[in-house]
Amino acid sequence: MGLLAGKRVFSIMALCMMVGLLLLPIVVALPSLAIGEEAPAGDAAKKDGDKVEKGRDVYYKTEGIVVGAPAPKTVDGPRDYPRYNFESRVLLWFANQQHLYYGSFVLAVPIFCMIIEFMGVVTKDKALAKRYDQLAYDFIKISLTAYSLTAILGGILIFTFLTLYPAFFSYLSGIFRIFRPVMHIYALMFVAESGTLYIYYYGWDKMREGFLKWIHLSMSVILNIIGTLLMFLANSWIGFMMSPAGVDEQGRYLGNIWHVIHTALWNPLNLHRILGNMAFGGGVVAAYAAYKFLASKTDEDRAHYDWMGYIAMALGVAFLIPLPFAGYWLMREVYAYRQQMGITLMGGLLAWLFIIQATMIGILFLSTNYYLWQAMGRMRGAEKYQRYIKYLVFILACGYMVFITPHTMVMTPAELKAMGGQQHPVLGNYGVMSAKNGGINVIITTTVLSFVWYMRGNKVSTVSWAKFGNIFMGIFFACAYFNIIFLAVYGYYIPANVRVGLSVPQVATTLSCLFFMFALNSVMMKGAKQMGPIEWGKISARSQYALIMLATAFTWMMGLMGYIRSSVRLFWHVNEIMRDNSPWAYTHTVGFAANMISFNVLFFWITILFVFWLGSLGAKKVPVESKAGIPGSIPQPVASH
Amino acid sequence: MSALNNPVVAVIVSLIITVSYFVFVDHYLMDMQGLDFWYLFRN
Repeated sequence: MGLLAGKRVFSIMALCMMVGLLLLPIVVALPSLAIGEEAPAGDAAKKDGDKVEKGRDVYYKTEGIVVGAPAPKTVDGPRDYPRYNFESRVLLWFANQQHLYYGSFVLAVPIFCMIIEFMGVVTKDKALAKRYDQLAYDFIKISLTAYSLTAILGGILIFTFLTLYPAFFSYLSGIFRIFRPVMHIYALMFVAESGTLYIYYYGWDKMREGFLKWIHLSMSVILNIIGTLLMFLANSWIGFMMSPAGVDEQGRYLGNIWHVIHTALWNPLNLHRILGNMAFGGGVVAAYAAYKFLASKTDEDRAHYDWMGYIAMALGVAFLIPLPFAGYWLMREVYAYRQQMGITLMGGLLAWLFIIQATMIGILFLSTNYYLWQAMGRMRGAEKYQRYIKYLVFILACGYMVFITPHTMVMTPAELKAMGGQQHPVLGNYGVMSAKNGGINVIITTTVLSFVWYMRGNKVSTVSWAKFGNIFMGIFFACAYFNIIFLAVYGYYIPANVRVGLSVPQVATTLSCLFFMFALNSVMMKGAKQMGPIEWGKISARSQYALIMLATAFTWMMGLMGYIRSSVRLFWHVNEIMRDNSPWAYTHTVGFAANMISFNVLFFWITILFVFWLGSLGAKKVPVESKAGIPGSIPQPVASH
Repeated sequence: MSALNNPVVAVIVSLIITVSYFVFVDHYLMDMQGLDFWYLFRN
């Protein structure tokens, strides 16, 4: 009893410490904020007598007292751009991308961990609760080593900036020093994140029951709040580089911290990145589970890693589905901020990269569907859907081909002449946004349908209105497909200013399928008759390669999108404020960019394999008594159905 | 409820619900953006 009370006191103290760590940066920042915007202005006023210079915010158009120095006009030379005998931009690209990969991973995995631990706490089935707890523990164990590597890569990134781009970095840190506490808040929050993560991980065994478990779960919430805030702060820097605000046209800071952080693209970037990180994290963990599954020697291990792979994939895909819509929002805001920037992205210099991106998105969804169809093989009763899968393949293939068709082709003069122009008379019609919106929405709706089939694979509904429910679902999906395709075709017959709005009902149609059909299916399958248990571990090896494919495609796509987002600034360090005068202020060829992205992906996967191997060296015994049951008799995870 | 389990009735009821729903979604979401969904049919 005394021991329990001691643990309880320790846990509450740990939780309080974490809250303290979370609040520490704000407390530290308060005095600076209090002096904040007036002090520098006051200093400036003293220097210039009573004359106070005012400037106009380039984005918010508000007037403010000039506080900071203008953006430096750099010249190509060792002072502003010191270098090795190598392209500095490529070195920075590498350091940035690796830090981002690991940063995304260690941000996403604790969120999964929190969700799974919560599922374990609330589930009534004790065996299942232990399995969830074990899974959450496995997840956090993977991220722990990766966390140290993230910090090391962050250090390398800062040194790369300082040594290769000192003028740019000093301007950026100057801006962010003027709204002074931000960089320090960032550093302190990193300390808070580390402290919380270590207590969370090492306190797992001691806090696994009753009240202590809730305290432990609360720690994961705090851990994720800190992680998300960290990401938001980092996003404010790239948001500032793309769509600066809070400074005048010379780049002089005007004293409003919030304007510099809250740029035009900050919120779309925040949403896009958080969803992207989650999908990426799910993919990496699923690939880890797939690798462990393929290397497993026993049925128990195969069952465990099959289940782990499924949960990671399901969580990843749950965030992948809304990701294209967040992407639309980001693009819409880019167009709203600077139309030319949007055109450069989607209709100009970088348009071909978007075709590659579309290809990767299609591969992600195809892999997901393929995995789900393979996964139905571990259920008795799911055979009834097998004969329909060919139709889904057909629909997916059609949607995919439309989605990846370019508007114009790169051709030789002879080919151009033979085709009668840059645009193919038939296929060229599929290269416009109207068709592409239709294509991707068809793909996502089909993925939702595959999920619904998977969820009811081994079940037969016993509700009295089951027949009506099944017919209704079928008709709802059919009408949804019809509506998406109709809107895509309709777009060809109406003017562009009306057509642009059609993407909203198309998205709403897809989301209707997702939410309504999942909800209806859950209601119908409540208390359903089971044809047999899910036989975890009895799945084809091909499915596991699909998971690895999913993770690799996602890693590649993240690298690609990061490159596109960064390249859209063209020859600007900070868009329209600070010009890049280095010899590398040009846009790389598509081929070079693709090679560089592939190298980054390869490097990440080699190092993450090393991380997994390190994790397996220090594998301690699991905090639950039994690791996994016998395949076939394993309790069915609630989340999976 | 038994009438709804009749396939013909189920198909008709389902069609009425889903078609009305999607027409509403198309019209309302375009209207919300200040755009006319029925542009082609009016012109």
